Formats: sequence, C-alpha cells, structure tokens
Amino acid sequence: MRKYFTYITLALILSPALLADSFSLSFSQNMTNNLFQNRYAEKDQLSTIGYYLDKTLNRFSLYAEGSYSYLFENPNLTYYVQDAGADYLYPLNEKSAFYFSLAGRGAFYRSDYSDFNYLSASLFAAFKSYFSQTSIFKSNYSFEYKNYRDSVYDFLSNALMLSLDRYFQTKTTLKGEIDWGYKYFLHPYIYEGEVPIDGHRYFMGRKGKGNPSYQGQYQYQTLTQTEGQGIQVFSISGLIAQGLGNTVGLRFSGMRQWVISGQNPFSFIEEFYAVENPSYDRFSWDGFQLGSQLTFLLPWNIQMKLGYTVSEKKFPGIESLDLEGNPLEITRKDKRNHIEVRAEKNFSRFSVILSYSYVNNSSNDLYFDWNGHFLSLGIEWNIPLGVNQ
Amino acid sequence: MMRRAELVLLLAFLLISILSYGQKTQHFYNVDKEITVEGTIQEIIMEPRYKETSPFLVILLEEKKTGELYQVEISPVWFFDHDFHKGENLTVKGSLYSSDGKSLNIIAREVQCRGETLFLRDKHGFPNWRGGKGLTKKRGKGKGKLY
Repeated sequence: MRKYFTYITLALILSPALLADSFSLSFSQNMTNNLFQNRYAEKDQLSTIGYYLDKTLNRFSLYAEGSYSYLFENPNLTYYVQDAGADYLYPLNEKSAFYFSLAGRGAFYRSDYSDFNYLSASLFAAFKSYFSQTSIFKSNYSFEYKNYRDSVYDFLSNALMLSLDRYFQTKTTLKGEIDWGYKYFLHPYIYEGEVPIDGHRYFMGRKGKGNPSYQGQYQYQTLTQTEGQGIQVFSISGLIAQGLGNTVGLRFSGMRQWVISGQNPFSFIEEFYAVENPSYDRFSWDGFQLGSQLTFLLPWNIQMKLGYTVSEKKFPGIESLDLEGNPLEITRKDKRNHIEVRAEKNFSRFSVILSYSYVNNSSNDLYFDWNGHFLSLGIEWNIPLGVNQ
Repeated sequence: MMRRAELVLLLAFLLISILSYGQKTQHFYNVDKEITVEGTIQEIIMEPRYKETSPFLVILLEEKKTGELYQVEISPVWFFDHDFHKGENLTVKGSLYSSDGKSLNIIAREVQCRGETLFLRDKHGFPNWRGGKGLTKKRGKGKGKLY
C-alpha cells in the first residue's frame, strides 16, 4: 500500500511538469562572511536548489515554484519555500493592457526560525498604456496577507503605484513615480509572558545568535494590548536612463519616502539572511535612496551589471539600543552603501550567474553597524516542454 | 519482481506522457531562417499572433542599413516587463518569416537594448519566458538573497 502511495505521489508531482510549457531547475551556491548582518559577523554558506514550471491556458498562466535552501554552519535555519499562482493578461487595445496575478506562498523553516513560518496570499493588478509612442503610463496595486506561525507578525498590506516616463531622441529616458503604501499588523501586541526588559518591553526571537548581550532573549516587543497597528508611507522617485549604443546603458535613480502615519510596532529590527524580516521592508522607513547602474555587454555576450546604492533610513517606532541592550532614547537610523557586480552568461539551455556584493551599514544602534561580503554562483537549466511558437 | 514491473509501468507512463505531449505541438520557429537586424523602433503595439495565447508585443523596426521595415514579435509577457519606446535602437536576432509573401516578420530570439540582452527563446526557438509574467518575482525580498 505504501509503495503505491509513493508511485502515485511521484506521478502527481511529475505530471504537472510533463504538461507544463516550461520547466526549469536551478542551483546556487552562496557565501557570506556576515550571515546575520550585524557587528558580530558569522560566516556561512548556503546551497539552494529549486524548480519552476508553468502552463499557459489561453490568457491564463499557471505556475509553481519551489526552493530548498540548506545552511552549512546553521543547519537549523534550513528552509523550503513554495509558490504557486495564476496570471491573466487582458489587452484593452493595441496600446494598453491589464495584468492580474493571484499568488500564494508558504515558507517553512527548521527549528531555529520556525516562528517565522508563514502562509501568504497576494493579489497584484497592473495597467500599462502608451500615451504616445515615446511615453508610457503605468499603475499597479498590490495586496498581501501573511499569516505567521507566531501570529504577532501577521499583517495585511496595500500599495499603489503610478508612473509616467518619456523617451527623448537623445536616447534619454526620464521617469517619475509616486507610491503609496499601508501595512497593518493585525495583532502585534499579544502578551507572551516573557521576561520584561523594562515596564512595557519584552524581546523575543533570536535566541542569542551572534550577540551575547541578547542571549536567551527574543527580538520583538510585545505588550499587553490586543489592537492592531498600521504604518502608512508615501514616496516620490525619479529615474534618468541613458542609452549609449545598444551595448551600454547607464541609469541614475532617486527616491524619497515619508512615513505619513503610524510607526513600526516592534521594538527593534534585525536583518536575517534566511528570514524575511516582517518589520524591515518598504513600509518600515522614512528617508531616501540614491542608485546608479551601468549595464554593458562583454565579448561572448556576457552581460555585466555594476551598481552602487546609498540610502539613509530612519525607522519610526524603533528605538536604538546600546550593546548591552539599554535604550538610547533615539530612533534607529541607518546609512547604507551597497556595491554590486553581476555577470550573466546565457547558453542554449542554461544560464550561469555570478554575483558579488559588498554592503556597509552604519547605524546609531551599534549592533547594526556592520559590513559584509556576499558571493553567489548560480546555474539555471531550462527544459522546454511546450510549443516553440 | 512485482516491484520492478510497477517501476517499468511508471517509467512507461512518464515516457508516453512526454512523447504524446510533443505530438500535440506545431512548429513555428525556423532555425534555418535566422537573421540579425539592427534598427530603430518605429511603432509598438500588442496584437494577437497565435491561437489561444495572450496578444504579443510587436515592434515595428526600421533596419538601419536598408530602411526596410520588420515586424518583430517579442512575446506575450514583455509588454509589462520592458518599456520600449519609439526611437530606441535595437539589435534583434530571430527567425524570419512572411505570412503573405510581402511583409517581413521576425520571431525574436534575442533582443539587445541599452546594454542588456533579453533572451526570449533558446537556440531551437523554444520560449524562455515564463508564466507568472515575471512581475510577481519583482515584489518582496527574494528568498536565497543574502542581504
């Protein structure tokens, strides 16, 4: 009976791949000297294997994607992520179209981060239209709901974007964009009964990795309240892109974001490589970001990207602490420099990608005063199964 | 013995599925008619090209050397992924065909623009684009990323 179950399961897993239009497998090996992205740098390596398959049915596309990531020094952070979704493209006329996507995701971590296991559902709707042959208007709306194993992180988010660009005969593209976003933590203040740090603060989560002063403590704040808390942001951004022939492209971008209401509910935030930090995302900060990127083609059609980004972000509601964990009564503020080099070579059926990044993050919370090197080598193998039309 | 027979049966099922699926398809991309054209975008439209698929992004490209106009089929999904504009220079590699003996059409395999190469198909003409339209992948902080 058991073996029949195995065969049936195998057939069910493989069948969608056989019916799919495309199927790809990927593998990447990643290395860093600062896995936890804090001043107590810790080396690790991560191996990720993944698959992707999709099927187009008329104007619908169905897709599924899964990846398993193993950490060599911290195997208890190993995780699996599964995505599945459907897309729909609806052309309004020759110059305009709508796009809709409905997606679900599940992330499952091993013991050290199992509190961050989550299931999510998201909706994405976009509209694009050529105002003229040299000017494009775009707008999109996204909604996401995430349900974590540790429910304090549960949230709903909404975001809206409008952009307009214009291409000039000098091969210059100018683009302006405005964004609005609102994230609502459904119940971030559930009382957990942990040891209080002060009258209203409790820390949960991290179990002391990397920082002795947080030994045995957790990383988020919980209070004896039950209501939700929202944070609302608004941003404007601009981009100048200059084409230098077909083989070289240069772009500069800038963004200014304001928190217009609310604040982050958690007492301090920390970036983890393996865990999507629910409190460190586009909704969490007030500040600016400037970026530049050079893309060019090397001989043998090797595609190169060089990028530099600088950002200064303040995190309303997040108080900086000293290295002993004592509050400094100032809002956390980070300045980050990020350099990235990426090379990609596409062969007939597979692609090879090599990338390197250096990040320097200076913060008024010294625990987050860190720098790190990140190296990644990946290969993706495409197996076409559908029509070559 | 029984176990081996079941395994053979399973493999046979999988093999038949692969072969029978291939037989349902039609071949459109002719690798013997590949050309490379460098030109300037004259017009961008979306229009239906194949039965039971989304409309394709089609670019009217004027070749630099000859001034001839080509209709370049990009893919159904890149309408949202890349912002092409009239006046931009492109180098397109793809399969040439003519539906009426007069018009020049290219099924694009590679497009070079602004220092980037977009790989739309492999050397045999099989599409590289994916469902999911690529848009969902751009949102959120990707897993497997170290920072």
